[in-house]
Amino acid sequence: MRLRNLAFVCATALMCDPVNGAAIAALGDEAPGVPRGPLHRPGQPCVLCHDGSVGNPPEFTVAGTVFVNANDLTPAVDAGVMLTDSLGVSFPATTNEVGNFYVLPHQFQPTYPMKVAVTYANVTVSMTADVGRDGSCARCHLDPAASASPGHVYVPADGGTP
Amino acid sequence: MKIALVSVSLAFALACSTTEPRARVTGTVPDRASFPPVAELLVHRCGTLDCHGATFRDLRIYGSLGLRLSPSDRPVSKGQTTREEYDEDFASVVGLEPEILSAVVASGGANPERLTLIRKARGTEHHKGGSLWQTGDAQDRCVTSWLAGKTDVADCIDATDASF
Repeated sequence: MRLRNLAFVCATALMCDPVNGAAIAALGDEAPGVPRGPLHRPGQPCVLCHDGSVGNPPEFTVAGTVFVNANDLTPAVDAGVMLTDSLGVSFPATTNEVGNFYVLPHQFQPTYPMKVAVTYANVTVSMTADVGRDGSCARCHLDPAASASPGHVYVPADGGTP
Repeated sequence: MKIALVSVSLAFALACSTTEPRARVTGTVPDRASFPPVAELLVHRCGTLDCHGATFRDLRIYGSLGLRLSPSDRPVSKGQTTREEYDEDFASVVGLEPEILSAVVASGGANPERLTLIRKARGTEHHKGGSLWQTGDAQDRCVTSWLAGKTDVADCIDATDASF
């Protein structure tokens, strides 16, 4: 009985990361009519929840959303996202109908830093900066663009910097 | 009961003891004038928005590829780190371990691994971002030459332009 209690306390403690908890709460509820799954929460920092912790949804190593334009949220459907880690290992991902892509641990576990290039409508754009440690695109690519965020990921038609 | 009360009082007293708030460390710091090429390396390798390009970091790096100091500036503007951002980066680096830094600088840059900054970058101490460079490579030489008072600008430029 004592062991069971101890296990329960440990599991609860693991699930109650107050920093993550606050960040997740700040994301708000699911959009009406969109069930949890590959199409939910485009543009949000996926790995915040999909981090493999106890009680969480499936773990993603890298995940995000690609949009067409800087100024609206039109999804870039079937965009190619090429991830290349510091060991030279690459993994190609493709966005779905809301612009989301996600990578599972058995598919690719990058050794950071990681480079990212996105291809959409025959235009390829490489990130100027490297990804240092966080698998969520939206950890840095938040809206609106500000001194600490370049704004959401998009592929400029002229191939400029996203 | 008495022992318990004494223990609690002692614990509170210890918890509430603080350092002298006006205390200041004086020491030798590396050269500010030759810092920009070193800063550019740090911006490139350390200052991404998901790492040290964040205001909650002790080592807080501002720069053109990550966190910007001016609210009107945007990340990912390669080569546009401002003088004010270099100033902030310098203050951040020299403020991490001022006594040890002073000793390293005073000894002409000897044993730079005394600094956590160097150990973490080399990966000899746990670092969430992993090992960024190896002892003696261009990136390492860029920072350690600055600590030694003879910044190797060519190494810094090579290291900053190079891919990981």
